[in-house]
Amino acid sequence: MADMDTAADRAATDAGPSRGAKVQLDCKGLLCPLPVYRASQAISRLEPGDVLRIECTDPGSLADFPAFARQRSLTLLSATERDSVQVFELRKEADA
Amino acid sequence: MEIMDTATGSAALGAALDALEMRGGARRHGRIGLAPDASRRRYGDVRELIASPANATPLVRLNKVVAQAADAYLKLEWLNPFGSIKDRTARYLLEGMRQRGELQGRELVEATSGNTGIALAALAALEGIPLTVTIPSGVPAEKLVLLRMLGATVMATPDDLCPVDNPRDGAIALARAIAESPAHRGRYAMPNQYANPDNVRAHYETTGPEIWEQTEGVVRTFVAGYGTCGTITGVGRFLKERDRSIRVVAVEPQVGHRLPGLKNLQEARPPAILDRSVIDEVIRVPDDPAYAMTRRLFREEGLIVGPSTGAIVHAIAGLDAAAGLTVGVSPDGGQKYASFYADLAGAEARASGLIELRTEV
Repeated sequence: MADMDTAADRAATDAGPSRGAKVQLDCKGLLCPLPVYRASQAISRLEPGDVLRIECTDPGSLADFPAFARQRSLTLLSATERDSVQVFELRKEADA
Repeated sequence: MEIMDTATGSAALGAALDALEMRGGARRHGRIGLAPDASRRRYGDVRELIASPANATPLVRLNKVVAQAADAYLKLEWLNPFGSIKDRTARYLLEGMRQRGELQGRELVEATSGNTGIALAALAALEGIPLTVTIPSGVPAEKLVLLRMLGATVMATPDDLCPVDNPRDGAIALARAIAESPAHRGRYAMPNQYANPDNVRAHYETTGPEIWEQTEGVVRTFVAGYGTCGTITGVGRFLKERDRSIRVVAVEPQVGHRLPGLKNLQEARPPAILDRSVIDEVIRVPDDPAYAMTRRLFREEGLIVGPSTGAIVHAIAGLDAAAGLTVGVSPDGGQKYASFYADLAGAEARASGLIELRTEV
């Protein structure tokens, strides 16, 4: 779904400290379950130890990503919300 | 002299062409063009092949797999040009959207177990409209290949896509999210066969009247599966309006079933278009007898059908003698399920003895 990536994806990479995050996913303005779908696709392309940083605006994400992390054996490093944007950092583990 | 010859020749040619025109109007449509002529099964466009009361799909009698006294027919919907009953639905969905101005410069997105997607993809391709389909798990590889061959973007939806929602409806939720996400700014239009009254209208205006005409109004029982519920609602409503006493039977698969195209309405949300008031009875059919009947349809009736037809015919075979003239729907054919049937022939099916992996030497 590369066509759904926006300039904001790239901007987010430069935006600030993301503690070693290698992949940024801008899911702002996308409704559930699209953020989970896109995260799922991105995770499958990551190496163990890589971190995926996801920005969302659908409040459903607050419930979805912790559950998604448990389901897929990912470590939820952080879940924060500021200005109605939720940011999740997920680390892919060796057995994921 | 030369001029006269030419004139005579032209007159002769003209007369010959006039005669040809009278025989069939063959020259009217260009140099080598033949005018479309349904009576000769000659069409100007594949879309003209989609079934309608003027071009009905056949009813074929079941002779071996039901009791001898039974009078049951299958309506072979796989003889539609894109291979399933969904050709009717897709045509109505697109026509409705066009009439409402919903297609202007937009792409299509739809959740489908394959057949609606294939029909939509073919129609969209003919009109140059991009299509994205979200597909639940368990859809056979052949359908995915057909969708991609037709140029559709396919998004396979894993069962665990919605970690806190109903996983069996993940494909529908994903399609809706694509259509409604603010980030996409209305770029996508969703036919939404589960909620679009045009799905019901397709069957109310075509499938139902065809069955009524083909049975000369003698049909007593109609059997179709729970899926989007367009067929059962549209045909059921039409037949009930003709004769309230016609029995309308819905076939529902088991919870956790593997019958593509059918839905168990305990695990999937009942589609908005379902009208239970036209349904007299629901028959629940587990996977195993559905598969067994599918195999019998291949071997005893020569009908190469998809697994949902097996479920529907299993239900028909269990009806009592009071069912009278019965018409069941055969939504799609078996070719698209080669890999699915091959999977069935794996360990699980072998253990239950349903499909043997046997090579005659």
